[in-house]
Amino acid sequence: MLALTAEDRGALLRKAVVVLVPLVVALALLAVMQWQAPNFFRPNNLINILVQTSSLGVMAIGMCIVMIGGGIDLSIPANMAFSAVIGALAMRWGVPVGIAVMLLTGAGIGLFNGVAVAIFGMTPFVVTLATMTVVGGATVWITNSQSISDFPEIFFDIMLARPGGIPVSVIILLVVAVIASMVMSSTVFGRWLYAVGLNPKAARVARVPLERVLLLTYVISGLLAGLAAAMLTARLGSASANLGNDGVVLDIVSACVVGGISIYGGSGRPIGAVLGALFIILIGNSLNQLGVSYFMNLVVKGVAIVAFICLDRITAGRAR
Amino acid sequence: MSMDKPVLELVDIHKRFGSAVALAGASLTLRAGEAHALMGANGAGKSTLMNILGGILQRSEGQIRLGGTAIEIASPRDARRHGISFVHQELNMLPSMTVAENVLIDELPTQGGFVSRKRMRERVAAILERLGCRFSPDDTVETLGMGDRQMVEVARALASDPRILIFDEPTSSLSEREKRRLFEVIGRLKAAGTAVVYITHFLDEIFETCERVTVMRNGQTVTSGPLADYRPHDIVTHMLGDVKLEERLRPPRAPEGEPVLEVDRISRQGALDGVSFRLHPGEIVGLWGLLGSGRTEILRALVGLDGLDEGAIRLRKDGRLQPVAPGDLHAEVGFVTEDRRGEGLLLPLPVASNISFANFDKVLGPLGLIDRKRERRFGEAFAERLKIKLHAISQPVRTLSGGNQQKVVFARWLGTAPRLFFLDEPTRGLDVGAKGEILKLTAALAEGGASVLLASSELEEMMSLCDRYLIVQRGRIVGELPGTADKETLMQALSGPGTGA
Repeated sequence: MLALTAEDRGALLRKAVVVLVPLVVALALLAVMQWQAPNFFRPNNLINILVQTSSLGVMAIGMCIVMIGGGIDLSIPANMAFSAVIGALAMRWGVPVGIAVMLLTGAGIGLFNGVAVAIFGMTPFVVTLATMTVVGGATVWITNSQSISDFPEIFFDIMLARPGGIPVSVIILLVVAVIASMVMSSTVFGRWLYAVGLNPKAARVARVPLERVLLLTYVISGLLAGLAAAMLTARLGSASANLGNDGVVLDIVSACVVGGISIYGGSGRPIGAVLGALFIILIGNSLNQLGVSYFMNLVVKGVAIVAFICLDRITAGRAR
Repeated sequence: MSMDKPVLELVDIHKRFGSAVALAGASLTLRAGEAHALMGANGAGKSTLMNILGGILQRSEGQIRLGGTAIEIASPRDARRHGISFVHQELNMLPSMTVAENVLIDELPTQGGFVSRKRMRERVAAILERLGCRFSPDDTVETLGMGDRQMVEVARALASDPRILIFDEPTSSLSEREKRRLFEVIGRLKAAGTAVVYITHFLDEIFETCERVTVMRNGQTVTSGPLADYRPHDIVTHMLGDVKLEERLRPPRAPEGEPVLEVDRISRQGALDGVSFRLHPGEIVGLWGLLGSGRTEILRALVGLDGLDEGAIRLRKDGRLQPVAPGDLHAEVGFVTEDRRGEGLLLPLPVASNISFANFDKVLGPLGLIDRKRERRFGEAFAERLKIKLHAISQPVRTLSGGNQQKVVFARWLGTAPRLFFLDEPTRGLDVGAKGEILKLTAALAEGGASVLLASSELEEMMSLCDRYLIVQRGRIVGELPGTADKETLMQALSGPGTGA
């Protein structure tokens, strides 16, 4: 009864390739680092890699959820910077207020995207690109291109603590990843979302409330952008428009694509986004240690995206 | 004014796709100056035959003769070279470009490497005049109505000066007036000696425009001759074939009890026109009409998959009929779509999760999370009850056979124990055994007290199940027949005077 058809075997093989390629690349990179830049393996650098991964990973999980529904949210970094700035301004009323404002601002902007896409049927790419521009512009305007950096000490005390040697931001990433995985694999919402991404018509026939599900994905990605805002503000000690620079959106998309989340919707898992984020940070960090230019780094990431979308095309094409 | 020597002959064409046989002896003879109706139910092989004529597919056996000489049509380009041209049902236009550009898109006249607007305009103006069109070659297509767009499509087909012109359901999106104009144009083409093939589901149209008819069924030509020799009802009979009168799965019964559902004059522009009827508990009501008659549209509109312009739907709740929105009615209906693979199922997902859609309330564990063990058991219970053949409940539903896939669709809705079932072509593409099982299942639903609305192209299926029939034509219900109606009466109903599908 376990005999596999040729088709099943092909599918398994393709799945294996999707997992193996990043793994092999990562291992090769680590080997090179061991040989060329032993500093790379110092505990401090490794912790640093995890901390860098944490905010990117949280945003990538948000993107992953939107992408599973068949959409895309380009406004995540701009939303994150905007939330960071608004929240930073609200810190004067206390740290809890500041953090709450960051989360709510992020979710609010996500709600705007969600309404535009799910209720008014606008194209996700265009809507979130526009949101990115508007919110990005507003952030520069509000801050006058300055950083906001006078935060109560308690903010850093909480966010930068290392209980048991593990930075709080890494713990946050783990918690978010576990919750997102559970939501996607074992809740009705998760099932609905995969269905919407796979085949919206079939989902509609199966009584899935399409609009509500899609709307919620953008709210979630906005909320996670707000969370990333708090993490990043604490790490950098300041909030500014530059948090959401152009490189970040590239990193998020790369993380998702490398992590096996299909840009065609309907497949992928949050844990993939997290591992993808780790992979992207790993490449950035090691190229940096090897003294390769930042711009070369961009080239490598861009190539990685195209390569993985190509892989995705090959695997997804067959599965449907 | 028909000439006797055929322009084109398709002789005993066979086409196999692997082991599947699409054409098994299809023939078609065209004469200059004649319109030839090509009729056949869905899947009869009309499109395959036309694709062979258009060079899109290659025949496995048979001969194509043009003016008496055998020819090969290896590509669409070849077909055009031989003077064969198509007016497609789907309008494939470039809406933001001009009429002239659309008409000549695949052979834009050039001068010194640049497109010559002047020559383009002249050529297209001449074609448009032949067609009696009043719009200009410089108009952009998006400013034209559907009828004019159809004319642009005709003009495009005429640009290569074809001797043979194939119209594939040209009137499906035209208004009555636009249709008249199209018929006039076809008349002119005939007068100019063009051989026309006219494919449609509307019977009245062929009697109006065509001289000859060929009817196909199951990949074969079953009859061909001058239309004057046929009555509408003969054509329907040939299309549907000999209806083997199978045993009824249950005796027809008169509606009893209070109606569960009342549909009151629902309409949608261009699709439905004042459809009203009632459904009683435990009855199977057949929507009887040809493809394109509006039977699918009725079912889809009722559950909110397509919109409604007007009308009301009332559902029995707490002992009385209460208005209900189509979207909410969806929650009360087990809806089996005609497109099982495209809409009915989520193909890559496991059988178990396909069944648990719409049934999540029954598979949740303590924390409100889906309990996989329960989900599996829920699915397995149905797999057993409906005898779904699978090796694991976790296998992707895509890997099941058609009949078993359809049972998964039924299982999903059975789980919700609905009072209403809407079944649109529930046996499409199934083999005989699976068909029988699905029909038995349908009878069992009604025995269990559910009301069933059934739409099917297969008369024998309808006759083995229905308690009464609603006759559907052009988005309207034009009559009702009792379950005891015989085959003659039912066929007659489709081809009634002055009607179409």
